[in-house]
Amino acid sequence: MDIQGEYHIAASPTEVWQRLIDPDVLSACIPGCESMTRASEDAYDCAVMAKYGPVKAKFKTTLTLSNINAPVSYTLSGRGQGGAAGFGEGVADVMLEETSDGTALRYTARFNAGGRIAQVGSRLIVATTRKFADKFFAAFSSGFDVAADDATA
Amino acid sequence: MYQFDYQAPDSLEAALAALRENDEAKIVAGGMTLLPTMKLRLARPEALIDINRIGSLAGVTEKNRAIVIGAMTRHADVAASKLVRDRIPGLADLAETIGDPQVRNRGTIGGSVANNDPAADYPAGLVGLGATVVTDRREIAADDFFTDMFETALEADEIITAVHFPIPKRAAYMKFPNPASRYAIVGVMVAETHDGIRVAVTGAAPCVFRVTAMEDALKKDFTPDAIAPIAVDGAEFNEDIHASAEYRAHLVNVMARRAVAAVG
Repeated sequence: MDIQGEYHIAASPTEVWQRLIDPDVLSACIPGCESMTRASEDAYDCAVMAKYGPVKAKFKTTLTLSNINAPVSYTLSGRGQGGAAGFGEGVADVMLEETSDGTALRYTARFNAGGRIAQVGSRLIVATTRKFADKFFAAFSSGFDVAADDATA
Repeated sequence: MYQFDYQAPDSLEAALAALRENDEAKIVAGGMTLLPTMKLRLARPEALIDINRIGSLAGVTEKNRAIVIGAMTRHADVAASKLVRDRIPGLADLAETIGDPQVRNRGTIGGSVANNDPAADYPAGLVGLGATVVTDRREIAADDFFTDMFETALEADEIITAVHFPIPKRAAYMKFPNPASRYAIVGVMVAETHDGIRVAVTGAAPCVFRVTAMEDALKKDFTPDAIAPIAVDGAEFNEDIHASAEYRAHLVNVMARRAVAAVG
């Protein structure tokens, strides 16, 4: 069950790409991200506080950038361990395309869970993933207001 | 195990004071969602404030052509209430279909409403009947109360005390339950209230919503056939192994027609 979205950003694909691979930008856009440290070339360790309804728990998450095709597309994935409760893994394929007034950012996201989290939460996974992805990409896109102004100045 | 504080105050004021003292405290009503979540360690509140001993929060009364249900009233008690059965039979029917006997005998209307699970039955009941949520400090119309999945208009330190249901002319609730959990895959409350016709849907989308196109059609012709051609857009609907978004969109129409037929 894939979730898709599209955002239009008033900046060139190269500018958008620079921010897509910037760990500071990513950590600021991930809902509930409390810390982020580089683990290897394209991987980061994050602490994410997930708050959805009755759930409020901190997950150690590994964020990985893969399938990198600069400045066009990549895959952003995050795998979180919830201890005895199981695990959750979100994957987003992100694609940039130049348009007449900037860049179209399209994503396809999906989420898998295992263990007890999957047993009790399967009915909520699609709605929660959509909400998470929307928050992330909305925050990411809104970060360009300043950059767009700079470009026209 | 992990440690947490447990308090069971016997007054609303004491519960509010305890809640204000600790940002990481949680109110526990029936505990039908919170306790399983804690067992999984998906929530670790520092303190539980149990409001089960506040006797004034439970019970059903009639006041100014409305049924007033205290926040701590169990689903089983709403289902068994002669007053509810007599004045709003559709609401008694709704309470009777929630979960299983354990959930109905522990779970409360206030807890269900505050949690705002996307598949809970009461949100459709409240919005469909044009109810008002009463808290320690204000009254909130159901239309404004349920804001998003698991999100409500409640402040962090606010406690629901009761729900006011204006007695409708007629109302019925129909749901297609998940056969295991009895959560609503789709549930629809249709009511003719003194302020107009309402159609409220739970289970289908991340949050309860009204279908105004159906309300308008029923205003002209209160029959199942009148709403048969009205499709809802399922693009943002919930999906799981039991039902796709498309299937849920289809069920909205089927359940709405059944509810209209049941209203009579």
